Amino acid sequence: MGQILSYTRMLLRAYTRDWVALFFGFFFPLIFMGLFGILNFGSFGHVGTGIVDNANNADSQAFRGALAKVETLKITVGTLDDELTALKKGDRDIVLVIPADFKIAPARPGSAVPTLTMYENQGRGQEVAVGSAILTQVIDQMSFAVTQSAPIVTTKVEEVAGRNLKYVDFLTPGIVGMTIMQLGIAGVMFTFVVDRQRGVIRRIMATPISRRNYMAAHVLERLILAVLQVLILLAVAVFAFKVTIVGSLGTVLLMSVLGSVMFLCFGFAVTGFVTTENQAPAIMQLVTLPQMFLSGVFFSRDAVPAFLKPVSDVLPLTFLNDALRQISTAGATLGDLPGDVIGIVVWSVITFVIAFRFFKLET
Amino acid sequence: MSAIVSVRDLRKKYGQIEAVAGISFDVQQGEVFALLGPNGAGKTTTVEILEGLRQADRGSATVAGVDVTKDPTKVKSLIGVQLQSSAFPENFLAKEIVELFAIFYDRKVDAMALLRAVGLEDRAKQKSEKLSGGQRQRLSIAVAMVNEPQVLFLDEPTTGLDPQARRNLWELIRDIRKRGTTVFLTTHYLEEAEVLCDRVAIMDAGKIIALDSPKALITQLLGRGFSKPVLQQQANLEDVFLDLTGHALRED
Repeated sequence: MGQILSYTRMLLRAYTRDWVALFFGFFFPLIFMGLFGILNFGSFGHVGTGIVDNANNADSQAFRGALAKVETLKITVGTLDDELTALKKGDRDIVLVIPADFKIAPARPGSAVPTLTMYENQGRGQEVAVGSAILTQVIDQMSFAVTQSAPIVTTKVEEVAGRNLKYVDFLTPGIVGMTIMQLGIAGVMFTFVVDRQRGVIRRIMATPISRRNYMAAHVLERLILAVLQVLILLAVAVFAFKVTIVGSLGTVLLMSVLGSVMFLCFGFAVTGFVTTENQAPAIMQLVTLPQMFLSGVFFSRDAVPAFLKPVSDVLPLTFLNDALRQISTAGATLGDLPGDVIGIVVWSVITFVIAFRFFKLET
Repeated sequence: MSAIVSVRDLRKKYGQIEAVAGISFDVQQGEVFALLGPNGAGKTTTVEILEGLRQADRGSATVAGVDVTKDPTKVKSLIGVQLQSSAFPENFLAKEIVELFAIFYDRKVDAMALLRAVGLEDRAKQKSEKLSGGQRQRLSIAVAMVNEPQVLFLDEPTTGLDPQARRNLWELIRDIRKRGTTVFLTTHYLEEAEVLCDRVAIMDAGKIIALDSPKALITQLLGRGFSKPVLQQQANLEDVFLDLTGHALRED
């Protein structure tokens, strides 16, 4: 154990002199966050919300009143036909239908709950995401259960609690997830392919250190780096961009470590198939680019075209980003995220098995 | 003197090619021993088996009293190595490289003392990848000495060095021998073997075809009636080069 820790300390010290790694590990994600944060790329004035109130009773008016207090929502009340026409014309982002049996009452086990129907404008994924998040939160606050269905357009609703959710609030967990992925995959691939090819690993294996200790130190180094990177990113997000992190920092870090383990396994698995330094950048792009664009780093996954959806749904980064976002913007705990945790564990196991089978320290 | 490396009928095949085809020899404690031979003769394979980096197919080899085939990790802890075509990890300072390898042997060392011994004291704070070829070879010898090895294996230590750096390294190897460490080296510079080694083994096509002191081998050759077709010169081009450029070590 002493050997692992001493080696890890040496690796970390050497890392501080590796300007390329520092740039891609620390400054690159900050540049991303800075650019998107300053330009406020995802800024939008409001979410066009149409409300069709079929109940029009005291409870539904109270509900509408609560929604009207949310500045982000621009509310119009009308008939179903008018509102759907407006939605199709693009004048509304979402249309919410309040059923005739609507009432605010604590849901008793087994009793029927009122069903709110929400129509979403497929072309306005971001507004829809924010709007539905706000609705979800208002509904949660008013404490009744809701079943969502979307008859004409089906999109899975990003459950982002959106009290004045800013784009940078949405972006931050995505950048954190992306950074963890980069450190896991690129960090492993470039180090090990280069060290293997140049005979660095051969030289080390000519000493009595065990492969287990050697690997343990490298994994530990990267887990420590992942935690440091996440802390720095969050610090910049909170202090420079006034990002609100709703969930606990401990949960964010725990999820980051889980994600980091997954991407380290992924990195070792992929590195098993890379033999030369020249192949590394291409294969790196091949496995990370799809995840950068399909796993909801910069934009909601609602914008992903339908035919790519099945792929997007199961990418490793999708699980990590979703989990980080739920924790950061909605205060979720690990217990609230069984799907994401299972996804991450399954990916970790699969890629660990592949890595175990194909990753070699020497050629 | 007793044998510190003992090899008996060692064999190693790669596919159909028998790289090491049944060799036997002893290296005596405290001597400088060289394995000579053209490229592909099986020198590196032999050395790597002795270093515990490769498994032999057949035969036995003991190093410092330990059977390499049975306990390669133990052998690794008793020897020092310098490998052909290997490198140190990047972004470590020369001093840190020495400390790093001490960690691999689970030891504490005086890194500066080791660097001083190879004349790299003033390069301690330089990244190892920024050192010149000769400096890097000397660093790699310092690293090979971190565990106070009983045998130091050097695989073509002077390949690629200029004449000054090569002579400087010879001095270093002599110093190491004076301190009682056995040195086992491979080379294809015959002059190097002649000035440095107590005994040499000449290897070709996986077999050892001669083993004796350089002087004895030459005497045997002359005894077979050999004479050089041209008149022996009193100096060669290398002597000219060194006379003109001096013996001082160049630091790129």
